Amino acid sequence: MTTGIQALTDTQTQALLLKLTVLADDEIILAHRDGEWTGHAPILEEDIALANIAQDELGHAGLYLSLAQTLGGSDPDRVAFWRGPDDYRNTRLVELPKGDWAFTMVRQFLYDTAEALWLEAATRSTYAPLAEIAAKAVREEKFHVQHTALWVERLALGTPESERRTQAALTELWPHAAQLFQPVEGEDELTAAGILPDLNAVHARWTDLITRHLVDKCGLTLPDAPTTQPGRDTHTHHLAPLLEEMQSVARQHPDAEVW
Amino acid sequence: MTQPHFPSSDTQWPRWEVFKQDAPNRPHQAVGSVHAGDPPHALVTARNVFVRRPAAVSLWCVREDDILTATPEELTTNPALLDSPGEAGTYHVGVKRTNKRSMTFVDLSGTVTAGGPGDALRQAQSLHPDVLAWMVFPETAVVRTDEDPGTVESWFAPAKDKTYKQQQHYGVIGRHVGELKRAGLMPGRAPSEDSA
Repeated sequence: MTTGIQALTDTQTQALLLKLTVLADDEIILAHRDGEWTGHAPILEEDIALANIAQDELGHAGLYLSLAQTLGGSDPDRVAFWRGPDDYRNTRLVELPKGDWAFTMVRQFLYDTAEALWLEAATRSTYAPLAEIAAKAVREEKFHVQHTALWVERLALGTPESERRTQAALTELWPHAAQLFQPVEGEDELTAAGILPDLNAVHARWTDLITRHLVDKCGLTLPDAPTTQPGRDTHTHHLAPLLEEMQSVARQHPDAEVW
Repeated sequence: MTQPHFPSSDTQWPRWEVFKQDAPNRPHQAVGSVHAGDPPHALVTARNVFVRRPAAVSLWCVREDDILTATPEELTTNPALLDSPGEAGTYHVGVKRTNKRSMTFVDLSGTVTAGGPGDALRQAQSLHPDVLAWMVFPETAVVRTDEDPGTVESWFAPAKDKTYKQQQHYGVIGRHVGELKRAGLMPGRAPSEDSA
């Protein structure tokens, strides 16, 4: 850590720790779902692409959790591999089973767009360590958006079958998407201090971008979203088996010293 | 670009040859191929497959159908390749000089103005008489990544930090085999062989 970094109050530190965990949890769980396509993607090239994207997302989680560790958080491996579903704070959007290719691409598009816009705003954070992480991660995320936007467009405008599947995916995923913009406890104070991006502004930009691509360009229909969302502490029954698989090696070798 | 066409028995997307440029003053090199439905898809896919690490500044994709290749042996048995018909214009020339690489690298060496692909091949042969293979394709067939800073930043910059990790950098669970060997805990070959 260099000198001159803005000092955080205790309250701010706690809120930022929670926010970093929330961000990392979304990345870890989505990366696992993407990784489930390894060896199963529609073509070899997409198999490589999605595995690569999953690694990028895990890399972002690593950045968030390393920063959290410097603020007093636990070791990143402990956070990822030793918390159960009750402690994970990911959105429902990312934990739903991988579905078909259209489902995977629509989810990735909704997520990538949100992440890219949030990271872009976070590059202007007054908290230098966060701004640095965002500047690094946003480059990769902008490419992810291009990749998945291209796929969603081709699926939506492809055959009647691919259009039907893409719309079905959007209909199923849409009610969960707004959860990405749920603030954590104490986030308002961090936003006011310029440490975190204004989530409402990011949400508005996201809605605009999503609508232009999915509706105007791809001819899809956005369903009505529920007016309220469950908190990030309540999960579907899909998260527990995911974590069981993801954490099985770590838990079988609790004394492993190196990874 | 060219219209999609589907040969009756082949349901695969068309194949595109990928050319990667590692640094601004280096030639584009053929690094492999991808299957893709259209030009933007080909570029995005090429980026995913061939720019994971460590360095690139530009990618080109060219439909397989737009490329004419020949080895000296092929030209001997089929000289008609030098008469392959097509559009007149600027053609890129690629040459394969060595087999001492694990992948099929072809360096693009420049362009020629030709009456068609056969003529371009003939010029390639005369410019580079002593190579393993020639490749020519028209400038009009090339799809390229944008050169704007945004594309360079999101498509190519992240890979620069991602160097290949050598095997010895990975940790192992338990003790490393070398350590066990030194401690005499690994079953070795028969003593007679060891001392031989």
